[in-house]
Amino acid sequence: MNLSSRKTMWKVAALSVAVLTAVTACGSGDGGEGGGGEGGKTTITFAYWGSDARQKLTEQVIAKFEEKNPTIDVEGDFSNWDSYYEKLATKVAANDAPDVLSIEIRGLSEYAGRGALADLAGKVPSADLDQQVLASGQIEGKQYAIPTGVNAFSMVANTAALEKAKKELPEDTNWTWDQWMTLAQEISAAGGVTGAEYNFNPAFLQIFAAQRGEKFYDGNKIGVSVDTLKAWWAIHQKLIETKGSPDAAKSAEIGATGPEQSLLGTNAGAMGMWWSNQLNALTKSSGSEMTLLRMPKPEGATTGGMFLQPAMFYSASAKSEHSAEGAKLIDFLVNDPDAAAILLSDRGLPTNSKVLDVVKTKLPETDQKTLAFIDEVKSELSPIQVPPKGALEMEDILKRNSEEVMFGKATPDAAAQKFLTEANAAIAG
Amino acid sequence: MSESISVTPERALAPKRAPDQPPGRRRRTPHVNIHRRREARAAYVFLAPWFIGLFVITVGPILASLYLSFTDYSLLEEAKWVGLGNYTEMFFEDDRFITSLKVTTIYVVVSVPLQLAFALGLALALDRGLRGLSFYRSVYYLPSLLGGSVAIAILWRKIFGTDGLVNGLLSVFGIQGPGWVSDPDTALGTLILLHVWTFGAPMVIFLAGLRQIPQSYYEAAAVDGATKLRQFRSITLPLLTPIIFFNLVLEVIKSFQSFTQSFIVSGGSGGPVDSTLFYTLYLYLKGFKSYEMGYAAAMAWVLLLLIAGLTGVNFLASKYWVFYGDTK
Repeated sequence: MNLSSRKTMWKVAALSVAVLTAVTACGSGDGGEGGGGEGGKTTITFAYWGSDARQKLTEQVIAKFEEKNPTIDVEGDFSNWDSYYEKLATKVAANDAPDVLSIEIRGLSEYAGRGALADLAGKVPSADLDQQVLASGQIEGKQYAIPTGVNAFSMVANTAALEKAKKELPEDTNWTWDQWMTLAQEISAAGGVTGAEYNFNPAFLQIFAAQRGEKFYDGNKIGVSVDTLKAWWAIHQKLIETKGSPDAAKSAEIGATGPEQSLLGTNAGAMGMWWSNQLNALTKSSGSEMTLLRMPKPEGATTGGMFLQPAMFYSASAKSEHSAEGAKLIDFLVNDPDAAAILLSDRGLPTNSKVLDVVKTKLPETDQKTLAFIDEVKSELSPIQVPPKGALEMEDILKRNSEEVMFGKATPDAAAQKFLTEANAAIAG
Repeated sequence: MSESISVTPERALAPKRAPDQPPGRRRRTPHVNIHRRREARAAYVFLAPWFIGLFVITVGPILASLYLSFTDYSLLEEAKWVGLGNYTEMFFEDDRFITSLKVTTIYVVVSVPLQLAFALGLALALDRGLRGLSFYRSVYYLPSLLGGSVAIAILWRKIFGTDGLVNGLLSVFGIQGPGWVSDPDTALGTLILLHVWTFGAPMVIFLAGLRQIPQSYYEAAAVDGATKLRQFRSITLPLLTPIIFFNLVLEVIKSFQSFTQSFIVSGGSGGPVDSTLFYTLYLYLKGFKSYEMGYAAAMAWVLLLLIAGLTGVNFLASKYWVFYGDTK
């Protein structure tokens, strides 16, 4: 080897090291976003999940906020629902938590209880918010989260499908589960569409249990009895038997997807249970008119069991270096009519009465319907319960054990016991 | 090496000879050493990025995960030492862990031999001097590249769905097929099929192995009147055993780590009824859904030991069935 080629070799080596250093420097520079930003601006991050449509709206609302607060630069950190908590947990573990984040009620105890969230009392003005809903963001007297808007888990019916089967829209103030199942069976029998789509959403079980006088979460235990679980599964089984809903395999297949692929969303079914803010997605994807109804009750039940639930919350990281700016962003999102004019009901119907008055007329038709429905049933709704730690797992545990019953892999008795053991372990651990 | 240390920096920089000048006898040894040393230094500079990568991105996290496997770590709080707690819970208290082991074992035991048999069969068929061999080889190799991808897993879900392609074909014959991926009795079967379908990689290796068997053996056997089947059993198979062994070890390791297929096909739950709960999927659920990262780390180590143990058993067993031409 001669000298000149050795020189070249050194040059190449030095260059590659330089390039690598530059690359890693970029990487770490990106991560430490705590800095002041350019031109005396403060940069804060805002993490949220959702659809493409939500991302667009959120980008708009962020731009509006920056326009009003020229010294704050907000970086939206968007992910889809499936990976949201994985990302959030990893960032919290890496001491790189977003300054402002979105969270739902089931994750609240997990994150607040483990000290990841800041107390927002006194930092975000909340006088105009619905106080009962606001309370759902409190744990042990601390306001860890501000609700974005409200939802109710309700029965959704496709009006046209009912008409086609020559059925009238049921009178929902006093209808029973038996009537609902019969209706589903008759619609299926009329041909065309399937009567109903069942689900294993814990919200459904919570309502059903409340109608029988049981709490889903009773302190730090599951309050649902074995008998209630068996009665609940009996509804599902009867629907399958009478062909009021698809068989277990088909239902499992649809259940794995969102409202767009559901029976209602694809115009293949007449009834289903969904959160009220999903009415938009259902209407859009099916192109049919949908109506919100109260949930059916057991015969002679005194309470409807339905409850109002925040669609999601805004929270701030406990370790944020820019808590004042973060609080300002949350304040803007929940209290400013300009923000509501962009977001409308995307994160549930606004609970700020003043904001709601301003945007009421701007809401699209489906949202007006949801608003009217919630106003109508509001007095019957039970207060909000903040589920304990481990609630994020409840959906999976319930679904798994329910499917064991539906597929005949376990008796309802055994599955109920197993559900209670697993569910109690999840909230204890 | 010890000699090179004695070279002073001054001398190390000294030799600026013209390339054509023959090296003096006395200076030769030090010069070679300087040369070597410089080359070694350059080599380390070149290797530095990989060394840094190895320690920062691989060895460091591996050691960290070993530590975490003895802790209760929720990701959101500091890790708390629990000793062997995770390991005892795994084997004595966690039914789902046992389920995931069972599911994964069935998957490996059924799909690997099937896949290898398929790959060998196709390699034999392609080895007949077919025209456009490289084209067919590429076509059959394609699934291997795609099989582990998210897109194929989604496609699989559609093909084997209640109203999917398979049931569409069956309905032509008047058969009402089940919802293959959503029925706990058949869901794992569809994943096994997906794995068998990715036979391309072992097939290519088999093809290369077949090419190495001298044609003269077959000619001699033909002269002796051996049938094709006999030739396969007495020549092809024994001479191919090292390749079969190689593929077996590789595929067993790979399929124990399968994740994407069950994650996508089951919608991330391992369902229906845990019938597709692969080991790695359960590990992921524990770590990221139940916030038990310590437990997940312990599971990762158990998997490592399990795979290492199985590979060891494979190697031991190979003594009895793998034939290396040169040793006998």
